[in-house]
Amino acid sequence: MSETKKKIDAHSHRIWDVIMVGAGPAALSAAVYTSREDITTLLFEKGAIGGLAAVTDWIDNYPGFPKGIAGLELAENLRLQAERFGAYIELGDVMSVKRSGDHIELDTTSGPFKARAVLLATGSDWKKIGVPGEKEYFGRGVHYCATCDGAFYRDKRLAVIGGGNSAVQEAIFLTRYASHIDLLVRGDSFRASEVLQHELKKHTDKITVHLNTTTDEIVAVDNKVDHVVGTRKTTGKKVEFPVDGVFVFVGLEPNTQFLKGSGVDLDEIKLVKTNGHLMTSVKGIFAAGDVRSGATMQIASATGEGATAALEIREYLDDLKK
Amino acid sequence: MAKDITIYTTNTCAYCVMVKKWLKAKDLTYQEVNLDEHPERQKEAFEASGQLAVPVTVVTKKDDSKEVIVGYNLAKLAPAVA
Repeated sequence: MSETKKKIDAHSHRIWDVIMVGAGPAALSAAVYTSREDITTLLFEKGAIGGLAAVTDWIDNYPGFPKGIAGLELAENLRLQAERFGAYIELGDVMSVKRSGDHIELDTTSGPFKARAVLLATGSDWKKIGVPGEKEYFGRGVHYCATCDGAFYRDKRLAVIGGGNSAVQEAIFLTRYASHIDLLVRGDSFRASEVLQHELKKHTDKITVHLNTTTDEIVAVDNKVDHVVGTRKTTGKKVEFPVDGVFVFVGLEPNTQFLKGSGVDLDEIKLVKTNGHLMTSVKGIFAAGDVRSGATMQIASATGEGATAALEIREYLDDLKK
Repeated sequence: MAKDITIYTTNTCAYCVMVKKWLKAKDLTYQEVNLDEHPERQKEAFEASGQLAVPVTVVTKKDDSKEVIVGYNLAKLAPAVA
C-alpha cells in the first residue's frame, strides 16, 4: 500500500476541511491554495489527473509557457504542486454528495467520506454526435482521444469531426500517424482560434477541410469502419469519405450526473449554478472550472476559478469557526 | 490475485499513465508494451481487446485465465487484480 493511500485510509474517519470532486486544473489549483494554508484537502479523480487537459496533445494558450506545453506535462506539474503542499489525491469515483447537518457526506468508491466544504470541479467530457455507427464502433474505429488512440492509425485514412480548437489541434496531432485526414466542419467557418487555423494551413498535404458538411453516419463493412456519410449543406448532396477511423471533437458535456438528488441547482444545459462566491445552491458546496455555469471552458480560467474558489472556501471555513 | 499484468500503452496517453499510477499505488508490478516503440505489437493489443485503443490491461490470473480491461476503468480493474 502506498504511503499516500495509508494516510488517506488513516484519516478516512475524520471530517476533511474540503473534499474536491475531480482533479483537473480547477481542483488542482484550488488544492495548491487550500493545502498551502493547512486546510486538509482530499481530491477524488475517476479519470485522468489533469482532466481533459491531460489528454490534450499540446496547449499553446496557457500563460507562462511561451513555447506551449504538453497537456500531460501541465497536468503532472499541477499534481506535483498540489501534492507538495499536502493535498491527497484518491483515484476513485464520487457517486453522491449531500449536506447532512453541519457537514457534507460523499459516497465514493473508496467508502463514505465527510467534509466541511466540497468543491465540485468535475469538468466535462467529449460530447457525442449521436449518428448511426458512433456508439456501435466506439473504440473500434470511433474515438474521442487522439493522444490515446491515434497510434493505431499509422498510414491510415481518418475523419476528424468538429471545427473548434480541439478538433483542429487534434487533427494536426493525428498527421503524425495518418496518411490523410478529412476534417468535417458543420458550420461555414471554423470556431478554432486564428492561430490554430494558421497552423492548420501548414498541413494541407495531409488535411482536407470540408466546411458546411454534416456527419450523418459512420458506416462499417465487415465489422470495420469503412466510410463516413455526410451532407454538403450548400448543395444538399450526400458525400462519402473513405476512412479507417473517426475522431470526434464536437464540444463538451458537463459531468454532473452524480449530483442528482444533491439539491445542487443546475442550469438548462446541466452546468452547476453558483453565486458570486462560487457557492452552489447548497451551503458549503462550491463549484469551479468547466462544470460551472458561465465558465469559459479554458484551462487558464479554470485555474483562476480554482484559486478563487479556494479563497472563498477558506473564508467559509473561517466563518464556521466563529 | 494476478499472476501477470501487461499494459499496452502509447507515449501520449494520459489514461495509460493513470493505470500505471493506480497499479503502483496498489504495489502491483506490470510489464509495459509501448506501442509507439513497438508498433509491430499493435495487432496483439487489438486481438486481446478487440479495440483500437489504449490503455489495454491484460491480467493473467493464477488459474491462467485472462481478463482484459480497456481504458482507465477502476470498476473493472480493481476486481480483476483482486
